[in-house]
Amino acid sequence: MKTSFKLDAHPRRPRPLLSEPPTGYFDKLPTQIMARLPQADARPAAPGWLAWLTPALRTGLASVAVLGGFAASFYMSGTPRLTPATASTASLDAVPRTELVGYLLTSGARVENSDLAVLTAAHPNIAKGFLRVSDEELTNALDEQPSEDLTYL
Amino acid sequence: MPTLRSNRLPACSRPTPRPPRLEDHEILLKFQDPASRNLAFNQLVRKYQSKVYWHVRKMVIDHDDADDLTQDVFVKVWKHLENFRQDAALFTWIYRIATNECLNFLGSKRRKFLLPLTDVGAELAAKIEADPAVAGDEIELKLQKAILRLPDKQRLVFNLRYYDEMPYEQMAEVTGTSVGALKASYHHAVKKVEEYVTRTTDD
Repeated sequence: MKTSFKLDAHPRRPRPLLSEPPTGYFDKLPTQIMARLPQADARPAAPGWLAWLTPALRTGLASVAVLGGFAASFYMSGTPRLTPATASTASLDAVPRTELVGYLLTSGARVENSDLAVLTAAHPNIAKGFLRVSDEELTNALDEQPSEDLTYL
Repeated sequence: MPTLRSNRLPACSRPTPRPPRLEDHEILLKFQDPASRNLAFNQLVRKYQSKVYWHVRKMVIDHDDADDLTQDVFVKVWKHLENFRQDAALFTWIYRIATNECLNFLGSKRRKFLLPLTDVGAELAAKIEADPAVAGDEIELKLQKAILRLPDKQRLVFNLRYYDEMPYEQMAEVTGTSVGALKASYHHAVKKVEEYVTRTTDD
């Protein structure tokens, strides 16, 4: 009859019967492990007062510094100088009309509807001196314009 | 009540005089000081290296694998020791890291080679059979083969209880499992081992 194996009856060993590690293994192991450790000293040390701050506070401080840098760069660069809108038109007013007409006819420059639209927007009464039409004539002329050009008028 | 065996060597067998072993709280205190951190950690490694090595070795059998994993365990201990909350014993915490390393190693090995449980067990059993220390001891060989047939976690429970004689409460801290579940797991493991050895032993 086969006798059943009982673990309690088997001589208990502190560990399985495995071969021992090489001689001197445990003497060398600490050195090997210490050589593998990431060296914290290699990291750049933070200033003393910074080390006392919590990580969250340090992150917040860094964010404020970055945003402050942006704000300062905006402030230092300044806003571009705006020339008065009247300056260019005032200088154009000094040009005689015949010279202007001559320039427009001979220089090859083509006046588009958009140019006229911009001009009348800047000086709503500019056309009153030479464009003498009734409201009805103006409405008819506007109705005859292509639809895309209406956006400028 | 079973207690952990000390791995302290008798004074006469020490090859060279070494500084006295520090208590865990002394090691942790010195570790907090950057000036004595390396020294404290060296003391920690020397204190626990043997226990960690054999805990790992029982799980992975092969010395080279055990060597790699033991080193990995202590590197992880170094990285996280600063955040160790001391709500568990230092040794229990180190054991838990070692346990996770072993289970991850065996799990990844199984995934890497698409090996089912028994094949990893067979691979480890082949290593045991090739080990000259087991040669000639048939019952011991069968016992080891039976243990290797257990699932990894149950084998871990068996090793902690049978070889390390660790109290169930401490095992619960290491494994994160309830005491009741550990008792049941160990009971079933013993039954499986006894049944396998009985079945494979000639009259």
